[in-house]
Amino acid sequence: MFHGSLINIMGTRFDILITGKSKPESDSLWDKIVSELWQLDKKLNRFDPSSELSRINQNASIKSISVTPEMWSILDSCKQYNRQTFGLFDITLKDFSKVILSESDKSIFFTQPDITLDLGGYAKGYALKKINQYLINAQVQNCFVDFGNSSILCIGHHPYGDSWKVSIPNPFNPSENLDEISLKDEAMSVSGNTPTYSGHIVRPDSKEVVIERKVTSITSSDPLEAEILSTTFMIANEEEKKRLSENFEIKSFTEYCL
Amino acid sequence: MLNKKPKQVDTSLRQFIKDLGYISGGAALLATTPWLQSFTPDKAKEIKSEKARIGFIGTGSRGQYSIHAVLAIPHAEIIALCDNYAPNLQTASELCPKAKTYTDYRKMLESSDIDGVIISTPLYLHAPMTLDALAAGKHVYCEKAMALTMDQCKSVYDAYQNTDKVLYFCMQRMFDEKYIKGMQMIHSGLIGDIVGERCHWFRNNDWRRPLPSPALERQINWRLYREYSGGLMTELASHQLEVCCWAMQKVPESVIGVGDIVNWKDGREVYDSVNLVYRYNNGVKINYESLISNKFNGMEDQILGNKGTMNLATGIYCFEEEANVKKSGIEQLINQIGNKIYASVPAAGPSWRPETKEKFTPYNILEGEFQVNDGLSMVGALKDGSDEILSSFCQACITGEKGKNIVEEAYLATMLCHLGNQSISEQKKITFPEEYKIPYMKFS
Repeated sequence: MFHGSLINIMGTRFDILITGKSKPESDSLWDKIVSELWQLDKKLNRFDPSSELSRINQNASIKSISVTPEMWSILDSCKQYNRQTFGLFDITLKDFSKVILSESDKSIFFTQPDITLDLGGYAKGYALKKINQYLINAQVQNCFVDFGNSSILCIGHHPYGDSWKVSIPNPFNPSENLDEISLKDEAMSVSGNTPTYSGHIVRPDSKEVVIERKVTSITSSDPLEAEILSTTFMIANEEEKKRLSENFEIKSFTEYCL
Repeated sequence: MLNKKPKQVDTSLRQFIKDLGYISGGAALLATTPWLQSFTPDKAKEIKSEKARIGFIGTGSRGQYSIHAVLAIPHAEIIALCDNYAPNLQTASELCPKAKTYTDYRKMLESSDIDGVIISTPLYLHAPMTLDALAAGKHVYCEKAMALTMDQCKSVYDAYQNTDKVLYFCMQRMFDEKYIKGMQMIHSGLIGDIVGERCHWFRNNDWRRPLPSPALERQINWRLYREYSGGLMTELASHQLEVCCWAMQKVPESVIGVGDIVNWKDGREVYDSVNLVYRYNNGVKINYESLISNKFNGMEDQILGNKGTMNLATGIYCFEEEANVKKSGIEQLINQIGNKIYASVPAAGPSWRPETKEKFTPYNILEGEFQVNDGLSMVGALKDGSDEILSSFCQACITGEKGKNIVEEAYLATMLCHLGNQSISEQKKITFPEEYKIPYMKFS
C-alpha cells in the first residue's frame, strides 16, 4: 500500500492511497502527480500574484492577454460549462458574458473592469481528472484519492471490500452520518454550508448567497463534472436541477436538507 | 529479538548509518552526532575479518538481552561470562557454551584474552567495576546510569580522561534513528525555538522480579533500595534528561523536585512517584514526571517549540498552526486497511468535536515502519538503539577508537538524576554544583 500526501496544495490537502503496485511504480507515479499538482497550483492560484491566473486578472480588463495552451483549454471548457449550466457555473461569479475568448490568438479580454476569474470550484476537479488519466495510464487497479475531503476519486475497490465506501457527516451534527456512498471507478464531490463556513456559495445572476443548511453530493465518472455540479446544484432551483440532470451524465445526485 | 539471524545487527548498523547519511547528507549528520563518526560503512570494512573478544559482567535480564544482541554481531565473540548469581550464569552459559565462566569479576579481568567487558549489574556496582576494568586495560561498556553517587560519576569521568581505553554507557537513544533524525529536525529549526520540554514515564507495576527465596530480596530487587539504586531517576529519567539536553544543546542550571511512595508501600526505599522541574538559564524548563501505579500516559519525550512539537519517543511531530486541522479521511482509511476493516471514510464534514485538547496533524519522523517503545518492558525495547550502540562498542574494541560524547552525555544525564534526587530528599532547589561541572557542558 502506498500513501502519498501533500499538506498544502491548492489551499487544501491532497492524499492518495494506491494498493497493488510496487514501491518504485508508486513512487514514480507519485512524483508525476506531485509535479502536476505543483504546476497547476502555480498556474491557477489567484492568491499568488505571479500565477498565470493573476496575470489575467490584473491585465485582461486593460488589454487582451495571450494565454498558455493549457490555460486556453481550461477557459474554453469553463465557457462550455457555463453554457451547459445556463450560466449557473460561472468562474467570474458575476457575469461570464463579459469574458471574451479569442480563438484565433488564444487570448482573453474582459469587457468590464471589475471582472476577475476564480477557479475555486473548478481546479480540484480539473486536477483530479488529469490525475485519473495518469492512474489509468499506469494501469492502477485500486486507488483512493482524497482532495481536500470534498473531492474524492476512486478506482477499483478497497482491499477488503468490493468498492470504496465514503460517508458524509452532517456538518451541523458530526456524530450523525447523512449517507454512505459506495464508489467504484467514479468521482464524488460534496458542497455545502457548515457552521463555521457558510455564505461562500453565490448565485451569479442574482448575487443571492446560499444560506440554507444543506449539503449536495454528486457522483460521476468525470471528476471535473462532479466538481462543477456539486456547487451548481447548491444554487440551482428545482426546474434547473431537472435540466442539469438532463444535460450531464450524472451517476447520482443527492441533496441533504439539514 | 531472541532468534536473530547472525548478520542482522551488523547489517542494521551499516544500513542505519547509510540511511541516516542518505536522509541528511552524511557530513552534516556526523557533525551533529559525532559519536557515529567511527561507524561509517568504510570503517566497518576495515574491521571485517576481526572479532572483538567480549566478557560479560552481569548476566541477569538486561545482560541476557545484550548477550543475544552481541551473539548476532559478526565482529564480536563472547569469550567470558561472570555472575555471582548461579541461575543467571547458568542461563547465560547455555547461550554461550564456549565462554569461560567466572563468579568473581576481578578474576575475569585478569584474563588477557578479553578485549572489552559489558557490565550489566546493579547501579552501585557500575563505578567500581568500570574503574577496575579500565585499570585492567579493558574497554568497557556499562549499562546506564553512570554510577550511584555524584562522586563516583566524577571518578569515572576523571579516570576516562586518563585512559586510552574505550568507555561506553548505554545511552541508546543516541543511536536510535528516530531520535537522531528528530534532533536534526529540531536543530534545523523545524519546530522553532525550544520553549519547553516534557518527559514522562508511566507504568503500572511494582517493579519487582520474582524471588526464588526471600533472602535474595535485596540482591534481586536492588532497584528498590537506596543503597544500590537511585530509583526512578537513575533507572528511567536518565535517558530522558539526556534527550532534553541533546535537544536544547545545553544543561539545566537548577532543579526542584518532589518524590513519594504513593502506591507501592511494600518496604521499598525508592519513590514510586517523582515530579521535577529542571530550569535552563534562559527560563526554559524540563517538566519530568514518573509514576508507576498508572500507565495511562505511557512514556514520552516531548520537545516543545514555539512553532511545533517533536514527540521523539513516539516518532511523531506536529506544527502549532495545524491545530484542529481537519483530519484527513485517508488517515482513517489507512487505519482501517491496517486492521483489515472495510468501512466508510468520512468526506466533506468538518471534524469539530468538543475536546479540551486540540487535534494536531501528526507527521512521522521516519518513513516506513519503525519501532515505538511503549516504555512498559522492564528489560529493554526492540530497536531502540541498543543493538546499534552494542555493535558500535564491539567495533571500537577492535579499532580502539573512543566514542565521542558518549561518556560526557552519560555523565551529565546521571548528574541531573542525582541532583533531582538530592532536591527531593532535601526539599529545596539545587543548583548544579561548580565542582561537578565538566568542560563539555554548556549552561548558557
